[in-house]
Amino acid sequence: MTTEDNPPIDSIQLGVVWQRLNSILDEAAQTFVRTAFSTVVRENWDFGFGLMASDGRLFAQSSRSVPSFIGTMPVTLRVMRETLGGDGWHEGDVLVTNDPWHCTGHLNDITLICPVFHRDRCIGYVGGISHTVDIGGATSPQARDLFEEGLCIPVSHIVRAGEENADVIRFLAANVRSPTETLGDLRAQIASMNETARRIRALLEDIGIDDLDHVSAEVLERSERRMRALIEAVPDGTYRSSIVADGYDEPLTIRVAVTIAGNEVAIDYEGTAGQVEKPINSVMNFTRSYSCYTIRSILDPATPNNDGSYAPISVTAPEGSLVNPQRPAPVWARHLTGHYFPPVIMSALADVLPERVMADSGSPLWATYLRGIRDDKSRFAKIFFMNGGHGARPDSDGPACLSFPSNVSNTPIEEFENELPIVVREKALISDSGGAGAHRGGLGQRITMEVRSERPVLFSYRNERVNHPPRGFLGGEHGSRGRHLVNGAVVNPKAQASLAQGDTFTFELPSGGGMFPAWRRPIAAVVEDVLNGDVTVASARDSYGVVLDASGSVDEAATDRVRTERADGAEAER
Amino acid sequence: MSYRIGVDIGGTFTDLVLLRPEGTTVIHKLLTTPAAPERAILDGVNALLERAGVPVDAVSSIIHGTTLVANAIIERKGVPTALITTTGMRDVLEIGRELRYDTYDPFIAIPRPLVPRRHRFEVSERLDATGAVLEPLDEASVLAVFEAIREAGIDSVAVCLLHAYRNPVHEQRIAALARERGFGFTMSLSSDVMPEIREYERTSTTVANAYVKPIVDEYLVSLDEGLSRIGVRAPFNLMLSDGGTVDMAAAAEHPIRLVQSGPAGGVYAAQRWGSRSERGNLLVFDMGGTTAKACLIHDGEPSRTSDFEVAREYRFKQGSGLPLKVPVVEMLEIGCGGGSVAVIDGLGMIRVGPESAGAEPGPACYGAGGAAATVTDADLLLGYLSADNFLGGAMRLDVDAAREALRSAIAEPLGVDVVQAAWGVHEMANESMASAASVHALEKAVDVQRFSLFASGGAGPVHAAHIAQKLGIREVVCPLGAGVSSAFGFLTAPFAFEFSRSNPAPVHQTDFGQVRSHVADMEARARTLLQQAGVAPDAVLVEVTARMRYLGQGYEIVVTVPQDLLDAGDHDRLRQAFDAAYTERYGNLQDSAPEVVSWRVVVRSHPPVLPEPPAPEATAGGSSRPRPKGRRPVYFAATEGFVETDVHDRSGLQPGHVLTGPVVIEEAESTVVVPPGCEATVDRHRAIVIRIGNDHRPAADETGD
Repeated sequence: MTTEDNPPIDSIQLGVVWQRLNSILDEAAQTFVRTAFSTVVRENWDFGFGLMASDGRLFAQSSRSVPSFIGTMPVTLRVMRETLGGDGWHEGDVLVTNDPWHCTGHLNDITLICPVFHRDRCIGYVGGISHTVDIGGATSPQARDLFEEGLCIPVSHIVRAGEENADVIRFLAANVRSPTETLGDLRAQIASMNETARRIRALLEDIGIDDLDHVSAEVLERSERRMRALIEAVPDGTYRSSIVADGYDEPLTIRVAVTIAGNEVAIDYEGTAGQVEKPINSVMNFTRSYSCYTIRSILDPATPNNDGSYAPISVTAPEGSLVNPQRPAPVWARHLTGHYFPPVIMSALADVLPERVMADSGSPLWATYLRGIRDDKSRFAKIFFMNGGHGARPDSDGPACLSFPSNVSNTPIEEFENELPIVVREKALISDSGGAGAHRGGLGQRITMEVRSERPVLFSYRNERVNHPPRGFLGGEHGSRGRHLVNGAVVNPKAQASLAQGDTFTFELPSGGGMFPAWRRPIAAVVEDVLNGDVTVASARDSYGVVLDASGSVDEAATDRVRTERADGAEAER
Repeated sequence: MSYRIGVDIGGTFTDLVLLRPEGTTVIHKLLTTPAAPERAILDGVNALLERAGVPVDAVSSIIHGTTLVANAIIERKGVPTALITTTGMRDVLEIGRELRYDTYDPFIAIPRPLVPRRHRFEVSERLDATGAVLEPLDEASVLAVFEAIREAGIDSVAVCLLHAYRNPVHEQRIAALARERGFGFTMSLSSDVMPEIREYERTSTTVANAYVKPIVDEYLVSLDEGLSRIGVRAPFNLMLSDGGTVDMAAAAEHPIRLVQSGPAGGVYAAQRWGSRSERGNLLVFDMGGTTAKACLIHDGEPSRTSDFEVAREYRFKQGSGLPLKVPVVEMLEIGCGGGSVAVIDGLGMIRVGPESAGAEPGPACYGAGGAAATVTDADLLLGYLSADNFLGGAMRLDVDAAREALRSAIAEPLGVDVVQAAWGVHEMANESMASAASVHALEKAVDVQRFSLFASGGAGPVHAAHIAQKLGIREVVCPLGAGVSSAFGFLTAPFAFEFSRSNPAPVHQTDFGQVRSHVADMEARARTLLQQAGVAPDAVLVEVTARMRYLGQGYEIVVTVPQDLLDAGDHDRLRQAFDAAYTERYGNLQDSAPEVVSWRVVVRSHPPVLPEPPAPEATAGGSSRPRPKGRRPVYFAATEGFVETDVHDRSGLQPGHVLTGPVVIEEAESTVVVPPGCEATVDRHRAIVIRIGNDHRPAADETGD
């Protein structure tokens, strides 16, 4: 069991084995994509595979895993071990659960874990998490508790000693809308995990070692040492910030204190709003995932996703809060809260790590559901995603309309119009929307849809950043707020609207915040923005202090005067 | 007499191959002349003919591949271009798909569009998704845009209107208006360039076409003139990105199809070896100075795709470039070549690439001031490369510099000796290439262990056997003349052209009458292009495929549609064809209805019949044992250290010769490393075929001494 019993492998062989293990997990991901049934798996890669050591610590994860799956598998494994009790794991077992508090924070993500046996010993665990489109329930954005949100699968054997558990399968099949797809995905996930276990055993045979204990201990130890060294370089202190989400009935404040003490980070959400009876509560696992994701992105995006890297990071939040809700809080759209963690942590650290943070983006992710009946009487239901502008970065402008912190692509207009009785009239950048700054925030976009069907189309949406704009950092200005308009009139951002033939719905996506004072933006960059219509002549003068005459050329004397005044003003403020 | 010439313009060298009527070849290499690439061709052709003693009028054809198009886009050296779109859509080109290519890095660079916002214009018009006109084209708005474009001093114009893949009427009217009103623009219409659904990808492709079209035109005109001047009367053809060949006029009409023109040639050289040696499944592996490229040939057919990307911001990250919807031979690019730099990463492990020492200063052993430890430095210290025989002895390698680089970058931080460090670098390079190939094979649903590894490029044959061992591949092939394999591959490619067109419809609603009319139209256009290149009308093959998916999916699979299915208009058989293709790729079927997204027609000639080289005497190898030109210590894992190893000169090997590993075989462009337990045979095409042994790794109980 102990590493002393193994022939120690040297650093070079360790590197080879580590590369191979990562490759095996990426191959599992590829196999899953190839065998899964659902489109979500195939196109959004909304899943991940991980490898846990015999002591339960996660030490390797497939490379394209989404942020919300960070660090949840060891929690799930612990709960599974507790549930199994003395009976323990047997070769060929696969356990399943989707309990939001034990997994990734909403019912749609199903976690499976199986042990890897080698030479009659359990040498580790393979985990797999995958998003399923439907998990039963009301599918209403108005869910008031978890029970309305669908089927909660407690820890169960979905496979016992190599035999599929027919009871569990029947329970699942009876409670979801498309059992072929959901069960097909689960079986593909199980097959990929079994193949992963087989490949790991083959690797052990190949290099002639009995287990992974030495490898996992080394990798975890080195990852942790690496992360601690990166944290150590950040000046000690407690850095605070808060961000205000629009919320449903009232604004919700997320407050954070990031404490750097030596080589550890403590992230605490004390002072954050309480949980709400709307499906935007972020369970502790989700809060921890996005918090760790943010620290990793700030310090070193290349650091492995494992328990070693995250060991020096602690995340705490008051019980019963929006970011650590108690059962049975509704959680389906937890991203509407979770997507605020990266900006709030980055703003806390902006003064101390100005070169490693970015201004707020026009997120959380926007979406609208569309339901209706085509003129040929067929029904449709479709989700349409939209992204606002990306926050400005310390060394560059924020790109226009880019998904962050999630990573969800848009639907091409031509595909959309082929499927739905809707015409998209406009999908255009909004001039002047980007938060002004030495580095400008990415522009938001305006999307206008016109209903063509004889019967009305129901739009349902609950989007953020309508009352509270994305913030600029370190002297950069805020980005623009979002708006929802029906036939040109502003409507509530979290509602439903039924549109008749010829009616239009317009989404104006929020833009990114700017970074550093705008008067420091190079004049040539401002002129380029004006030429392209990204910034108007008026904003060039008012926000950037660049005065352009009627012909579009720079009035250098006036520009110099305005910019000097701004610089002096900034100096005086100190 | 029929002499054929293949010319490949690469970044550094222009390679030429002359194929004689009796099947033997003459090669010539000279430096590329980037400012006027045609100069190297003309000089090269003259030199090649002189060397071969062949009169210029005996040349029957010249086939050419070029990186001109790719480089113009990568280096942003295309012409100023304007874009015309439907009202409300001019920013589609900039908004793209809204996706980050790296989820964990918020600081990634996003590629700038080729046309800045101020040169993107909108005209008033609208089609619906069926292609019906919702709003007619407002010609006054078009003329106003033309004026603005002329005002901006722009000559090349891309037009991409919504749903033009269904109905080109408005795009065509815009082009006609430009002609009628005397605007001398070079026009690229999305309905001509690539009439495929998805506005961002189609716009990106159309814009890229417009961006390079005048450059390709100019290049081809001066090349044509130059060739006439030196007396070449033979037809001059170009190889497209998908391995098809077309004449100059067709290439000028569709310049974006040239974007991956050169590398496809190497794959065709491999395919030709495969077809003559009864190997249908090849993993074509080309490892050069900065990257390795891999392409799967399955059942004799190179893997193809229409989803291509150019000018990646981050070289090996999918999604970081500009998307091009053009048919290409599918190649996986891996950030690992001879010049790839090895470092100790944040976890204290060796990482190789993707940073490269490039050609200047290059690996430490080039002695040109490079201090970074590279794969080539490691290969030199392990004895795989010889200090005296690099590039045929043209360049002496500095062993001490290599040792010093590996000592400071790898050995010292890890606390191991320099040889272990070198082995670690070699091993990690192999491991990362094997991983990439393995994941790629899974993506393509093939079992790579049933493939032979076909290795080319300067570093390919050095690493191939060790990579094969990691992948469980049993056979490695190192062709002769790997240094000019692209140019040779051009000579083996058929004439071919592909057209495609989106026409989305569920299978059970497919209007076969309309499909047949679209297919007939595409076939006729492709036939015309081939006839124009001199292919006889009755000497062509026509292949029809459909890109299909389940309703609601975002990506398609390619399904072959037999002509009789099309003629019969059989919905059920189309469904069955989809089911079969889907099952092969994904192993299961869904409970959902499939649809056709687009139809594709490929018209191709039979591959050219190339003369076989004179049959080698059957006993040439059998009767004599080749004599090594020397011996040197070479490191192998299986021997746990250096062993004295025979070194052969490849030019001294004859078909039938058999060499047992460990052995090293040197040639001018590369070195073939045959590890212990492997056996190399020279086949009748003078390729070295290595049978990979089992015993690549010592068993566990043998290591613990």
